[in-house]
Amino acid sequence: MLWMYEMMVASRHFEDLIKPAYFEGKQPVFNMAKGPLPGEMHLSDGQEPCAVGVCAHLKSTDTVTATHRPHHIAIAKGVNLNDMASEIFGRANGLSGGRGGHMHLFDPRVNFCCSGIIAQGMGPAVGAAMAAKLRGTGDVAVAFIGEGAANQGAFHEALNLAAVWKAPVVFVIEDNAYGISVSKRQATAVDGNAERAVAYGMPGHFVPDNDPDEVFGIAGDAILRARDGGGPSLIEIETVRLEGHFMGDAEGYRPEGEKTSLKEKDPVTRYRARLEQVGEASNRLDQLEHAARSQVAAAFDHARQSAPPKPEDAFTTVFA
Amino acid sequence: MQEKKRKLTIAKAMAEAISLEMRASDDVLVMGEDIGKMGGVFGNTLGLLESFGPERVRDTPISETGFIGTAVGMAAAGMRPIVELMFVDFFGVCMDSIYNLAAKQSYFSGGNVTCPMVLMTSVGGGYGDAGQHSQTLYATFGHLPGLKVVIPSTAYDAKGMMAAAIADPNPVIFMYHKALQGMGWLGTVQRSITHVPEARYTVPLDTAEVVRPGRDVTLVGLGHTVHVALDAAETLAANGIEAEVIDLRSIAPLDRRSILASVGRTGALISIDDDYHSYGVGAEIIATVAESGMAGLKAPPKRISYPDIPVPFAPEMEHAVLPNSEKLVRAAMTLLEEPAHV
Amino acid sequence: MFEVRIPQECWDDDSEGAISTWFFDTGDAVEKGDVICEVMNEKVATEIEAPESGTLTIRTLAEAAVRKGDVIAMIETA
Repeated sequence: MLWMYEMMVASRHFEDLIKPAYFEGKQPVFNMAKGPLPGEMHLSDGQEPCAVGVCAHLKSTDTVTATHRPHHIAIAKGVNLNDMASEIFGRANGLSGGRGGHMHLFDPRVNFCCSGIIAQGMGPAVGAAMAAKLRGTGDVAVAFIGEGAANQGAFHEALNLAAVWKAPVVFVIEDNAYGISVSKRQATAVDGNAERAVAYGMPGHFVPDNDPDEVFGIAGDAILRARDGGGPSLIEIETVRLEGHFMGDAEGYRPEGEKTSLKEKDPVTRYRARLEQVGEASNRLDQLEHAARSQVAAAFDHARQSAPPKPEDAFTTVFA
Repeated sequence: MQEKKRKLTIAKAMAEAISLEMRASDDVLVMGEDIGKMGGVFGNTLGLLESFGPERVRDTPISETGFIGTAVGMAAAGMRPIVELMFVDFFGVCMDSIYNLAAKQSYFSGGNVTCPMVLMTSVGGGYGDAGQHSQTLYATFGHLPGLKVVIPSTAYDAKGMMAAAIADPNPVIFMYHKALQGMGWLGTVQRSITHVPEARYTVPLDTAEVVRPGRDVTLVGLGHTVHVALDAAETLAANGIEAEVIDLRSIAPLDRRSILASVGRTGALISIDDDYHSYGVGAEIIATVAESGMAGLKAPPKRISYPDIPVPFAPEMEHAVLPNSEKLVRAAMTLLEEPAHV
Repeated sequence: MFEVRIPQECWDDDSEGAISTWFFDTGDAVEKGDVICEVMNEKVATEIEAPESGTLTIRTLAEAAVRKGDVIAMIETA
């Protein structure tokens, strides 16, 4: 439980440090091209329980594929914070030398990768799972997606294929209720995506209310099942997206008052309250928070002080 | 009475064109991700949901193959669907419905079943959106038979070309460049914001335009690179070189006649585009000139394009490889054997 | 001569915004109610309408910083 809390605090602090850095150079006119963090930025505030509850069960040799909203998952998976921060700041010592940026983080040391096309990380997760199966390593793969991705063709193909081949993969849906501006209700034919699992011959579980301990329990079962040769599972977690889809999103499509009531569901503060309830000492938690935040802050300093890539670096690593 | 002057961004011009055509015919409708309540991530459908309601302005699930295939079927039934592929980079998930269905519907049916569908899609980078959100892919789409592929460089053209695309019985890929769009969250080339008449009008989809006449060298651009070429032309003029700038407007069908006519006048050609270099727009333009056998070229033609690499994230890399007016000025001066002043 | 100012209702606080786009040029005829420019503050864009009809003279160029109440243009009525 403490590890999960530490990871949640770390990833939330990461996003909290990104926010002011992102707006540097983008005021008074918000021009996405400007500043030390150009381009889009998709923050994971509120979705931390999905990452920590699942990754708590994973080894560095297990594979995780993620999406355009990857920071919390990368951190929980153990991606090197310095290298990740450097990559997001586009520095030469970043994970891919500044070529990938925040949506395309690859860390083979812990078998983490992410990319930006919805649902397209699912096939590669099945692939990683099949590689583990064929080699007999006992490793598993987890694909993280959003609830919007469950309406994309690749979702259905990946689930079916994983089941047909009994791949040791777990599909995790972070249901934050919105695909940019379109609500889950508007876009999905069934009430919950966990229901869809039966159509693909695998167990489906729904975790309500963004509860890290609930996620931990259900993910643990699914991952164990996969490791034991039982095949794939689908988990859908009800979570919250506390920020906009991308930074700069005015979120005019949310009903009035929705954002303020969401903030009351902040999973990081809720989990701290729970830890205190079960007897964790306040000052122990304070220390833990301080340590986690310092590590993240150090990663940002590292990134800021690191040199940018040279233009000619753009031409290398296209081919091996 | 003189028509009142008013300027629009390309985003607003597209929305206005769609609105006018939807008013004129119930068969016109719009579908895509976030095009309803949000008015489009790129602002090109703002106001449509309020005006026409959710039956004709449909926010779709993230199901490109699904809703683009649906558009093809609606078009076969005689409707005129306008569908948005949010980023051209997403074409990988739905290309069959575009290049094998929409593009071949007329041919496979011997002309008996048409596909009057417009697929509008955002193109272009230069703002740090990295390898999967910054591509243009002009050549990819221009290469495949059965598709019309167009890209406006101004709001005036955008409105007229959208109206023409909706009226066209063929599938039209209507590309719009993010650097010209005029949404609030990205810088916009101010020159793309032009006067747009309030009335309905069309701009032909198959004709390139000479947007700046000149006698010394022909610069061919499309979308954003038209503006790059116009910027370069100003610098060149200060150095005594008069460049003729052509706005291609249409990738397919390519207006080869206008290109040949211009190069026939100037005797020199540089093509500039922001799509990948090999097998690209520049290659096709230069091949057109080479095949014509025209004599008297001052120098071998040049093409400036995006290199054959994925779009890098870091601005130090991305901006170094993007085509820009400095590169174009240098290329023109070298081609004309003038000493380089830049 | 009418002053065109950034309205107080544009955004909540005292922060800076900027004009993102002018839809008319200096010397153009504008009518009362015409959307003459767009102002951005943080993430929100607001359209500014001409308060009167007349000839427009732009005082603040696009991308320059503005605060609520700033005069951004003048309109000379006929």
